[in-house]
Amino acid sequence: MSFESFVALRYLAASRRRAHVALISTISILGLAVGVAALVISLSLLSGFQDRIRAQMADRSPHLLISPERGDRLADADAVARDLQSLKDVVSIDPVIDGRAWLSDLNGRGTTPVRYRTLPRDFAAPGADDPRAVPARISFNAAGRTGSTVGSLLRVLSSHTRLSPIGPIPIETVVRVAEIRRASALERAADLEVPESAARLLSGLAEGARAYEARLNNPAAAETIAREVARLLGPAYRVQTWQDLNRPLSFALRLEKTVMFATVALVIVVAALNIVSTLALLVVEKKRDLGVLTAMGTGPSSLVRIYLILGSAIGALGTSAGILLGVVASFLMDRFHLVPLPADVYLMAHVPFAVHAREVLLVALFAFATAFAAAVLPARAAARIAPAEAVRLSR
Amino acid sequence: MLAIKATHLTKTYAGEGAPVTVFRDLSFELEEGVFAAIMGPSGVGKSTLLHLLGGVDLPDTGRVEILGRDLEEMPARERARVRNGHIGFVFQFHHLLPEFTAEENVAMPHRIAGMPAREARQRARELLARVGLPDRGNHLSRALSGGEQQRVAIARALARGPSLLLADEPTGNLDAESAHRVFDLIEVLHHERRMTTVLVTHNPDLANRCDKIFAMSREGISPAIRLPV
Repeated sequence: MSFESFVALRYLAASRRRAHVALISTISILGLAVGVAALVISLSLLSGFQDRIRAQMADRSPHLLISPERGDRLADADAVARDLQSLKDVVSIDPVIDGRAWLSDLNGRGTTPVRYRTLPRDFAAPGADDPRAVPARISFNAAGRTGSTVGSLLRVLSSHTRLSPIGPIPIETVVRVAEIRRASALERAADLEVPESAARLLSGLAEGARAYEARLNNPAAAETIAREVARLLGPAYRVQTWQDLNRPLSFALRLEKTVMFATVALVIVVAALNIVSTLALLVVEKKRDLGVLTAMGTGPSSLVRIYLILGSAIGALGTSAGILLGVVASFLMDRFHLVPLPADVYLMAHVPFAVHAREVLLVALFAFATAFAAAVLPARAAARIAPAEAVRLSR
Repeated sequence: MLAIKATHLTKTYAGEGAPVTVFRDLSFELEEGVFAAIMGPSGVGKSTLLHLLGGVDLPDTGRVEILGRDLEEMPARERARVRNGHIGFVFQFHHLLPEFTAEENVAMPHRIAGMPAREARQRARELLARVGLPDRGNHLSRALSGGEQQRVAIARALARGPSLLLADEPTGNLDAESAHRVFDLIEVLHHERRMTTVLVTHNPDLANRCDKIFAMSREGISPAIRLPV
């Protein structure tokens, strides 16, 4: 142990025995610990919510969306499908066939404009063999506007036309409501989802697709796989990941976390001011000893180091205690559901907490660096003490 | 060879009111190996002179050379090295560091010099034994008597084997018996280690035991008069 560490740690340990210094240094350490714990818990809370939001994003968005760079349909949809299927990370692909239409009951009541698209391949509709109409899934809003329930028959009038002996007439079909879906705010869902055949009929797209959606076995690797797909398909196609499709929301989540960090970190800054006053008190208290140490041959840089080490030690103690407190509290609150939520409002029964090692490390570094910086001013004051005066006045 | 050569020293302190000039144009020389006492009334600047001679403070004007080296011309780090390696200080009120044991106090100059802790403590133990405190190493300063505290302070001042020992009224705070024992110790160690020693004292009896006596007053410092006891 260096001379400076030896002196600094002894001062810190000995300060426990002097009531006023002990009190103020304990307050400094506690203040920092509370600030660090508050920041860890706040970030864990945000991460808990945001992890769920991101999981829903990944679950409810296509992991990859391949669309033409120009035009409204893929130039060679088969080639796109082939290339996508050749990748081992791609679990499934679905053609995107969509468009705009009018939805109403069979008597034309409750007519409402909707966006339609293809149903997922794995959608199993009860009574799919009904010859009168194809099964469809409609949004809660569309069901309300058309006054339909599960089993209702609805008329869909496409914005596309077909030629008839009397001229172009809108393409229409009848669908049976197989499911009414309440989509989350995170979902890019259409108001009306119909089987591929019906979607092709409504859009007039007999073959090919407007785009392809792919699901991956590891959504987290979407960026890497997207680069590979883009390399395979060439510049005529645009490849977007689920993160790209949700970029505004992702940005908002990141911004929220940054603002939260900056706000709660102010507690740490206030705690650091406490450290400044503690160390300043120690400089005044130890003025005579600093003079004696100087007389024994301690240089100004060593005196600076003693106080920087003191600040670092207080910082390390406060940060460690705060990290421990924050991590344990976050874990317990998440594990034992200590903060309940009304499930019908928040879609979850308790506040989730997720401790991310990277964030904890960031908090620890910030707190330690702040404590270290807080020691600079008292350390420089210690180095400026006139030793002769310190020794003379302290008789 | 001169151990100390101080020429035309002036020192002024900025007090709360007008600045106070402690002394002006003061010169002082001392040969190597001499045991000198400085006497004089309070407030004439005896302690200030010791601080200037020890490089703890710098004069406003004038030069201080210790063993031929000008203290003011050295950078602060080098001056600290000289203080650590060549100059030992003993203060009137011992000024032991209260958080450290006697042994740690004596080992402190070695630690400042970068010596490993184990070796520094070993040397400190030997020195404590030399000043008659072989069993007090693990005691904090407040557990020691006044005489013992001053012996520890002397051991600490001698830890690095300085060639110059500066003692500022080392017996001023002790009873007569303890004062004599502490002075005896300084005297013995001075001869044993062949140091140059400058001791400030108000005690003419002790001063008379020194090789040289200097009388300090507002007018300056004058050499060598043997005082009546």
